[in-house]
Amino acid sequence: MSNTVTRIRLAGVVIAAAASTAGLAACSSPTPSGDASAAAPAAACEPAKGNVTLQYWNTVPGMDQVVALWNKNNPNIQVEMKNISTDQYGIIGNALKAGKAPELAQVGYDQLPSLRTQDAFVDASACADAVAAKSKFVPWTWSQSSFGDTGVFAFPQDTGPMALFVRSDIFKKHNLEVPKTWDEYAADAQKLHDADPNLSITFFDPNNAEFFNGLLWQNNAKMYGYSGDKWHVTVESDQSKQVAEYWQKLIDAKLVRTDLAHGSTPMYAAYQKNQIASYIGAAWGYSMFRDNLPDQSGKWSIVPMPTWGSSAASGDWGGSTVAFMKGNTHLYESVKFNSWLNSDPEALAMENKLGGLYPAATAGLELPALSEGVPYYNNEKIFDVFAESSKNIDTSFAWGPTQKTVNLALQDALAKAAAGDGKLTDAISAAQASALKSMQDLAIPAVAGN
Amino acid sequence: MTDIATRATRVVATTGGRSRHNGGGPRAGTIAAFLLPFFLPFVLFYLVPIAYAVWQSFLVVRRTGGQYGTSYTAFGGFEQYVQVFQNTEFWSSIGRIGLFGIVQVPVMLFVALIIALLLDTPLLKLKGFFRITAFMPYAVPGVIAAIMWSFLYSPQLSPLVDLLKAIGLQPDFLGPGAVLWSAANVSTWLWTGYNMLIMFSALQAIPQELYEAAKLDGASNWAIAWRIKVPIIAPSIILTTVFSIIGTLQLYAEPAVLRQISSNISSTFTPNMLAYAVASGNNYQQAAAISVVIAVITFVLSFGFMRLTSKRAGL
Repeated sequence: MSNTVTRIRLAGVVIAAAASTAGLAACSSPTPSGDASAAAPAAACEPAKGNVTLQYWNTVPGMDQVVALWNKNNPNIQVEMKNISTDQYGIIGNALKAGKAPELAQVGYDQLPSLRTQDAFVDASACADAVAAKSKFVPWTWSQSSFGDTGVFAFPQDTGPMALFVRSDIFKKHNLEVPKTWDEYAADAQKLHDADPNLSITFFDPNNAEFFNGLLWQNNAKMYGYSGDKWHVTVESDQSKQVAEYWQKLIDAKLVRTDLAHGSTPMYAAYQKNQIASYIGAAWGYSMFRDNLPDQSGKWSIVPMPTWGSSAASGDWGGSTVAFMKGNTHLYESVKFNSWLNSDPEALAMENKLGGLYPAATAGLELPALSEGVPYYNNEKIFDVFAESSKNIDTSFAWGPTQKTVNLALQDALAKAAAGDGKLTDAISAAQASALKSMQDLAIPAVAGN
Repeated sequence: MTDIATRATRVVATTGGRSRHNGGGPRAGTIAAFLLPFFLPFVLFYLVPIAYAVWQSFLVVRRTGGQYGTSYTAFGGFEQYVQVFQNTEFWSSIGRIGLFGIVQVPVMLFVALIIALLLDTPLLKLKGFFRITAFMPYAVPGVIAAIMWSFLYSPQLSPLVDLLKAIGLQPDFLGPGAVLWSAANVSTWLWTGYNMLIMFSALQAIPQELYEAAKLDGASNWAIAWRIKVPIIAPSIILTTVFSIIGTLQLYAEPAVLRQISSNISSTFTPNMLAYAVASGNNYQQAAAISVVIAVITFVLSFGFMRLTSKRAGL
C-alpha cells in the first residue's frame, strides 16, 4: 500500500511540476533567422494566376456574414475566416512563431508596434491601391497603421472616439448643466455627492489601462516617440501627471467609485440602481448601455468629452486594424479584400449592425445608420457626437512596442493607488519604468524623455 | 519516473511470461509495443516542453537594425535567472501564496479529514448522500466555481453581503486585505471534497478486524478515530498535503477570475499569474525562467515535505 502511494506521489509531483513549465513552452520564441538585414523590403504585388484562398482571423461578432457576402461576389478570391476572440494575441503570436500566420488578422492599434517589433507584418506598399487607401481613413488611424507613413502594414477597421454619456434625468433633477470642462465635471461630481452620498458621477476602474490611456491621449500626453534610432519614452509627462492628479483628487474626495470593473455585471448593477450619473466611454459603448440597461431608455444622452482647456480635444479608446501578416504571398488579393472590408459602405453597414463597429473609414461616418437618431438615446443623433470627437483626436499619438506589459504595470499601480497605497502619479512613474525595462528586456533601444 | 518504468516493465514481463506459454513472439518488441502508448505522449508533451522551457530560460533576446529590426535569441547563461531573483514582484507573489498555503492547506485538509472520519463512522445515516454532497464542488470546474463565488463576493450582486449588512456588518470580500482569503475560500470549497475522498478511500481499506480488536480492548469511537484511523491513513494525508502544496504554488484560476471584478488582485498576484503576464508581453525567456524557478520550488517543497514526514511516520 505505502509503496503504491509513494509511486502516485512521485508521479504527481513530476506531472504537476511539468505542467507548470509545459504551459509556457507552448508559446516560445522563434529561432534566430540569422538574417541581420533591417526591415524586410516591400513584397511584390502581383495578382495570382489562379484562384486564391485568404485566411482572415478576427474577433468581430457577425463577421462570418460579411465574409460570406464577399465570397459570394468574388469566386476567385475566397476568404476563410476564423474567430479568435478566445485569445486574440496569443493565437496570433503562436501562429507567427509556427510560421503559419494568416494572410490577414485583426490587430488593435495599441498592439501594432508590439507585433511589428516581432516582425509580424508585411509591407503592402508595393500595391498602388494600398498606398492610395490613405485618403479613405480618419487621419490618426492611418498614421498609426502606417507607422507614420513608413509603409502599409494594416488597414484601419474601427475606432473608439470618446464621449461623455450622461444620465440627463439625474443631472436635471440636481439642476446641473452638462459639464464642458473637467473642472466643471469635478464640481458637478461634488454637487451630486453632496446631494446624495450614494450617488457618484462616475467610476474609475484602475484595471483598465486602455481607458486611462484614452484620457492621456485626450490631454495630448504623448507616451512614445521615435528618433535617432531609439524609442523615446515619455509616459511620464506634465500632461499625464495632470490627468493622474485630477483623478486622484476625485478618488480622495470619494466622488468616484473605484470598486467597479468596466463591463462587469457589478458595474451594470450599479448603473441599474441609479448610483452612477455618467459614463466616460467610446463609440462602441452606445450598444453596451442599450443592451444591458434597457430600462434606462430615454434617460441617457451622449455629449462631447469634457475638455482640459477651451479647445475641443478628444481621445480614442479601442478599435482595430486588419493587418497584412508575415508570409502573405497574396498581397494583391489581400489588399482588394481588406479595402472592401473596411471602406465599402455595404460591408461597413453590416459590420456596424452585426459587430457594433464604428468605422475608421471617413465614408463610414456617413452611413445611414450613423446619421439617424437612436431611440435609446431619446432619438438624439449620437453618432454626430462621435464623428466630431473623431475629428478632434490627436493624430501624432503613438503606442509603444511593449504596450501590453506597460498597461499591466500601469493597472497594477493604479489599483494600488486606488486602494490607498500610493498615488495615481506613482502609477505614471511605474508605467514609465516598466516601458523602459520591458524594452530593455527585448533589446529594443529606448531612452527616457525626449 | 524510473519507478513507473520499473513497474510497467514488471507488468509487461508478467504478460510476456504468459504469452511464452503460447509460443509468442520476441519479448523486446512486445515490451516496446506496450510502453509506447505511455512514453510517446510522455516524452512529447512533458519531457520535450520542459526541456524546451529550460533551454528558453537560458536565452536572451538580441536585436539588430534599430526600431523594427530583426530580433534573435542568444545564449545568455543565467541572465534570466538573475532577473527572476531580483524581481520584487516575483518574491511578493511567492510570499503571498506562501501565506495562502500555510493557512489554507491545513484548514482544508483538517476539514477534509473530519468529513472523511464522519463518513466512516457507523453512526452516520445517508452516507452516500453526504459523500456525494461533500464531493460535488470538485465536479464544478474551477473557473465556474470562481465566477460563482465572485458573484457572492460582489457587494453589488451578493445576497450574502446584503445579509451581513442587515446584521450590521460591513464585509468587503474584495478589499486589499481580504481578497487573498476570498480566493483561499474558493480553493477550499473546491478541493476539500476531493481530498476527503482520497482520505475516505484509505479509511475504507482498513480491515474491520482492527476496529473489533480495538473495541475489545475498550477503545471508544473517538480513540479509534485518532489512534487507529488517522495514523493508518497518514500516507494519504501526506499525499493530499503534497498535492495541495503543488496546487497552491500553481494557483491561477481563482485569483484570475476574481481579478475580473476586483482590482485588488494585481497581474502578478501569484507566481503563475506573473509568468503569464511576462509571457503575454513577449518575454518568453523570462517567463520560462520564472516557471523553471516555480517548478524547482515545487520540487523542493514537495520532496522536502515528503522526506520530513516519511521519516517521522517511519514510512
